[in-house]
Amino acid sequence: MTDAPSEQVADQVEISCQACGSTLLLDSHLRTTVCPYCASPSVIERPPSPNRPAPSFVVGFVVDHDRAAAAVRDWISSASIFARSDFKQAAPEVTRGVYLPAYLYGAVANSSYSARIGEDYTETETYTTTDSKGNTVTRTRTVTKTEYRSLNGEHSTYIVDVVVTASAGVTNDALEAVEPFDLRALRRYEPSFISGWLAEDPSRSKDDCFQLSHDESVAKVEQLLHEFMPGDSHTSLQFQTNLSNEVIDLVLLPVWSFAVRYAEDRPPVQILVNGQTGRVGGKVPISTIKVTIAVLTGLIVVGGFALAIASQN
Amino acid sequence: MTTAIEICERCESPLETGDLRCSICGQVSPADRPHAEKLTVQILRCRGCGAATAYDIKHQAPSCTFCDSVVEVETLEDPLEQSEGYLPFTIGQDEARKAMRHWLSSLGWFRPSDLTTSARLEQLKPLWWVGWVFDAESFVSWAADSNAGSRRSAWAPHSGQVEMTFDDILVSASRGLSDAEVSAISPGCDLATIRKEPEGAQNATIEQFDLQRSQARQQVIEAIQVIAAQRVEQSEIPGTSFRKTSVSVVLRKLITRRFSLPAWILAYRYKGRLYRMVICGQNASYVTGSAPYSIIKIIFVAVSVVAAMLAIFAAVAAS
Ligand SMILES: [Zn+2]
Ligand SMILES: [Zn+2]
Ligand SMILES: [Zn+2]
Repeated sequence: MTDAPSEQVADQVEISCQACGSTLLLDSHLRTTVCPYCASPSVIERPPSPNRPAPSFVVGFVVDHDRAAAAVRDWISSASIFARSDFKQAAPEVTRGVYLPAYLYGAVANSSYSARIGEDYTETETYTTTDSKGNTVTRTRTVTKTEYRSLNGEHSTYIVDVVVTASAGVTNDALEAVEPFDLRALRRYEPSFISGWLAEDPSRSKDDCFQLSHDESVAKVEQLLHEFMPGDSHTSLQFQTNLSNEVIDLVLLPVWSFAVRYAEDRPPVQILVNGQTGRVGGKVPISTIKVTIAVLTGLIVVGGFALAIASQN
Repeated sequence: MTTAIEICERCESPLETGDLRCSICGQVSPADRPHAEKLTVQILRCRGCGAATAYDIKHQAPSCTFCDSVVEVETLEDPLEQSEGYLPFTIGQDEARKAMRHWLSSLGWFRPSDLTTSARLEQLKPLWWVGWVFDAESFVSWAADSNAGSRRSAWAPHSGQVEMTFDDILVSASRGLSDAEVSAISPGCDLATIRKEPEGAQNATIEQFDLQRSQARQQVIEAIQVIAAQRVEQSEIPGTSFRKTSVSVVLRKLITRRFSLPAWILAYRYKGRLYRMVICGQNASYVTGSAPYSIIKIIFVAVSVVAAMLAIFAAVAAS
């Protein structure tokens, strides 16, 4: 995207505008362009290859530029109190709506697991204590104890709707920060859908994307297994997951991309807005000075209390 | 409108018109768009005026920048569910009335003695209520606590996996009937008697499915999980008492049909209050409803019990 590596920017193709015949230079990872001479929107289609399959689906933009920019301003001003002041005052710039390539992944996950399952029980125990008159007395009380039993088993489930980035310019964490997309609004990909907008082809290899999908799937399985375990509690959950019957399809997702430049000496911060839901995601630069002041203040307060308590005794 | 167009390659569940993906396993339904053979550059033009089209947020679709007409694209359809057929009423009004008297007289001693004679029928209305009937194969993983193998705690963990088939399982989609009413009357229905049109009752209320297909599938899948957990408790988990039963269901060949099923809804009045009854429209022995209790009889029994206990206490104290 905006910060795509330079060797990719250098990788350009020459196309000619079908409306006015002008020759246009186009970044090779883009699927669309608008002619600078006659303003005609073109859609570029390439023969599919393993790392650049044809898109199956597209989710259309719902949030327009103004709404996205307002969401970003709100998000910046409500950023944590530890955010750098110059960041909170910065104005977001260079906004573009882009159809971001992502993979929609699904599989059957078969897992073997083992865990220690905690089953609670109560016991009545006797204890000795001193009563109000200073006599030693024996009393009873009920205590809850936990007995750990080991459990081994198998777990099978469909994994569906895992979404991972296929764009080198957007990390999977950055995309996750603006997820979820409402996949009920999926539409079959048609070139007309991206006409007039920026759209990228995948710039990550399919192997990389499979790896990201596997990681997300295993994280999902782990969460499912935690919910699956019986007992009052459990520990030492270990599992081995085998993913089979995989399906992976390219989907173009609507994203507004903003760059926030807040200091001369720092790189701009990338902020994404989900073009379907308006959800904002990005990393807020933290002010080390503010954090240091807060920590020092905390220490002084605690120290003060400690002194006050010590001086009372 | 809800006909199956093809079978999912992966889980063998039918896909329906407008499904872009399998709702069970996520497999994409095949597209018929050809792939580009070489690099092509195209400007998509309006069929009406020839100007370029672009995706437009206002229309949520590609539209012409000049004449504002919208380009048709294939979208995921999520239509309201429609009934595929009706089970006919085989129980008429008179039989329904008779079934009501019979049911009231069968309720037992705690009911008012004059219930059968004094209950006045206020309304008797035929209703076609809606439900899904599904068949599926599945592979169920389960884990649970049971008393089997327990040591100091009353519970011990167990786990397993089992193949499970579902045949003609009915899930209520009705707003008019409660789930308890549906489970009481639905065993009286014969699903093989399905007809294209409503038959056997005049002026019936015909309930509509008020859910979209995607929500309907969600409800059916939730119902499958509940049934799978019940079956696992009945026949898989060792022991006699269970808790924290979890299931993970991998479905195949899920086929869901949408039915309209017959029921008589009765309202009767006893001593100024209204009570409701529901009778299966195909078998009058499947009946459910509410009925008054005799307060006097209950007080009488309670007083007798207390008196008997006092007498026993007195006897014990005296001895
Ligand atoms: Zn041009
Ligand atoms: Zn499927
Ligand atoms: Zn036009």
